[in-house]
Amino acid sequence: MEISPDAWVLYEWQGLRLNATIVFTWGVMALLVLVSWIITARLSEGETVSRWQVMLEVVVTTIRDQIDEVGAADPARYLPFIGTLFLFIATANLLTILPGYQPPTGSLSTTAALAICVLIAVPLFSITRRGLGGYLKSYLQPSPFMLPFNLISELSRTIALAVRLYGNVMSGTVIVGILISVAPFFFPILMQLLGLLTGLIQAYIFAVLAMVYIASASRAQRKTDPAADTETPRTSREGD
Amino acid sequence: MQIDWLTVAAQIVNFLVLIWLLQRFLYRPITNAMAQRETRIEERLSDAKSQRKDAEEEAEKLRKKREELEEAEQDMLEEARTEANELKQQLEQDVRDEVEQKRKNWQETLEDQRADFMQNMQRKAGHKVLDIAGRLMAEFTSGAIDDQVADGFVAKLTDLDPETCKKMTRAANNADSPALVESATKLDTAARQKITRTLHEEFETDIEVEYWEDEEMLLGVRLSIGEQTVEWSAARHLKRLNRELDTLLESAGPAKRKEATD
Repeated sequence: MEISPDAWVLYEWQGLRLNATIVFTWGVMALLVLVSWIITARLSEGETVSRWQVMLEVVVTTIRDQIDEVGAADPARYLPFIGTLFLFIATANLLTILPGYQPPTGSLSTTAALAICVLIAVPLFSITRRGLGGYLKSYLQPSPFMLPFNLISELSRTIALAVRLYGNVMSGTVIVGILISVAPFFFPILMQLLGLLTGLIQAYIFAVLAMVYIASASRAQRKTDPAADTETPRTSREGD
Repeated sequence: MQIDWLTVAAQIVNFLVLIWLLQRFLYRPITNAMAQRETRIEERLSDAKSQRKDAEEEAEKLRKKREELEEAEQDMLEEARTEANELKQQLEQDVRDEVEQKRKNWQETLEDQRADFMQNMQRKAGHKVLDIAGRLMAEFTSGAIDDQVADGFVAKLTDLDPETCKKMTRAANNADSPALVESATKLDTAARQKITRTLHEEFETDIEVEYWEDEEMLLGVRLSIGEQTVEWSAARHLKRLNRELDTLLESAGPAKRKEATD
């Protein structure tokens, strides 16, 4: 039994292997883009709004509200990144109800890629806000002795992010696989339902954690701003 | 745990592409649409607010105007009411005065008429009585009474007070027309002679005497020399009686009439 869809190679050409992870990722991407495109092609700015547009607006607004709740100053800045993380992971996980589908998030390569994206995005957002010097200085906070610990923390949370998502999704798939071989009639369905739930929760956790990291990186800057002293993050979630 | 770094790289690219695609097809259009809708709604709201403000101002203005008008109307009504009241009172007073005047006039007229009527009645009654007396006298004394009348007249002439006698004498001497003796009935010759003689004796004159009849005298004789007259007749008595009656009636008239004449 395959644990990771990475091993499921669909096409190979001159050493480049096109595995199921990439293919399903493309599928998920295509689905997301198509749905968005179809709906937003007929956007209405007036009073009468189609229910599909309302659905998209609700999704976008909810993500924006969540970003805002974490404490980021400008939700619109982070919306594409955080929103895409959530939508991609959620879609990838929810599609597990389709037979024959292997969630790309069940592959450590995918989750590692996403975690690396977060790892890069955190300093990027921070640098664009406070400049390179300000960002680098944050590693020396509260004292220069903390530099190695700060670095370790940065790395470890990235790895944790990747492994958490991978482990949850993969375990769901594996559990279903095992249950199918043990009790193939009733339990796999329950586990599948549970998998849908955990998949959605994982997407939420991943996106919110990414946002928390980004926000905490820019929060150090806000602490230097006396006007924003009272502003503290309303949520600070860690772990699963 | 197996990581295919090629897949990782591909997934990173995929993810970045997905971000770009979703930004292009999802976030931007949706946020733009929402922002525009919000802007439009805000515009509309502010429009509505300003229109509402305008309307409220207009309403306030109209309300004030209406209040002023109502006040003015009230004032005018009050004024008109007062004027009407005054006019009404005046008219009522006028009418009352007029009615009072008319009533008074009418009463006066009534009193007058009543008094006149009473007086007439009394006068007529008195006159009738006197008339009857005269007629009775005339009827019962025709002819036979002439002598007595003549005697009476002669007696009266002789008893004239000296003043009148003088006046008569002077008038007789200066007269260029004959003396006139009038009587109710035709005096017989003897009586005439008696009277003529007495006349001549008393007034020391030889004036011519003419004898006329005047039925109105009823009984008695009247002597006229020039402008002087001596009369002894029932008519004269009656006249005097009538005059006295009138005076009596006048004085006995109603008090109101007296006031009115005052």
